[in-house]
Amino acid sequence: MKTVESEIAAVLAGSISEITQRSIFKRLGGLARLPLKHLTNHDRQAILADLENSIRLFAPNKAADLVAASWRALGGDAASAGEPSGDGQPETVRKLAIEAEQDIAAARLEAWSEAVRIGLSKFASVKVATAVSELARNIVFYAGAGTIELSSRRDTKGTELRIVARDTGPGIEPQKLETIFAGTYKSERGMGKGLVAVQKLVDDFQIETRPGQGTIVSCVFRGER
Amino acid sequence: MIGARAVDRELPIIQIRNCLLVTIQSELHDRFALDLQEALMERVRKVGAQGVVLDVSAVEVIDSYITRILNDIGKAVRYMGASCYIVGIRPAVAMTLIEMGVELDSVKTALNLDAALEKLELLQ
Repeated sequence: MKTVESEIAAVLAGSISEITQRSIFKRLGGLARLPLKHLTNHDRQAILADLENSIRLFAPNKAADLVAASWRALGGDAASAGEPSGDGQPETVRKLAIEAEQDIAAARLEAWSEAVRIGLSKFASVKVATAVSELARNIVFYAGAGTIELSSRRDTKGTELRIVARDTGPGIEPQKLETIFAGTYKSERGMGKGLVAVQKLVDDFQIETRPGQGTIVSCVFRGER
Repeated sequence: MIGARAVDRELPIIQIRNCLLVTIQSELHDRFALDLQEALMERVRKVGAQGVVLDVSAVEVIDSYITRILNDIGKAVRYMGASCYIVGIRPAVAMTLIEMGVELDSVKTALNLDAALEKLELLQ
């Protein structure tokens, strides 16, 4: 039976790693398991809006093709393809270079102040700062250098702070990634724990990593209105 | 970083009776953490300290890495026959540690320095 998951997985194969795909489908929840023939147009729009974010982040060079192919795979008609998802641009984007140990503390402070600025609670702001601290540490320890991007958005539903950590370091081997998230991996400096800790702290967590090419971690904190 | 080891700099270890107190204010860098651990061990041995108190009330964020450093110091202190207390953990930090699922289990904790000293004196 053709489901959303099977069709989208076929489109994304080779462009987006399985672990990222899994997190996408997990977030789609029940929608991912729906048979294609039961999809309404509204479902398709919702799925595509969500997919588009991940595709743009993890496969930026072929994002347009992948989004269009996903739309076709979902059975959407050609006429309404490529419509803007309506999410709009994030309110603010701040990009921080992470190159040395002292950048970790700086990134943490930036993240904390951004969280406070958009009105996240005191506890949530400390969580944001802690997550950024973990991500920045991983960049410094394992990749040497990279960036952390903070973008926030406020709408009627509430506030959202997205953290994207990027590096072009050695990446993580697939088997190692599995053991990290299974909780059985222990590195000398504790990277495994750090990534798992971030995953537990945030509302949405995605990681894309390829050995030799680097790692992108994207996570989102949501605050109530 | 030749010759720039933190041991050579002033390390903020204060002695109160037979107890050593360290107030952690700055970022616990890799190097600094190791040097602190080393210096603490030396002092514990030299003065026969019964307790080591690490005050983290100025620390706004404790991530898994800092947790590991604190646990390591706690273990080392314990192996030397002394007790290691972490004091002043902020509420938000405590909640975050719980959510992250990292354990601060190789040290004892107390609300503040006073409470830790009280507990240490009871041990004597």
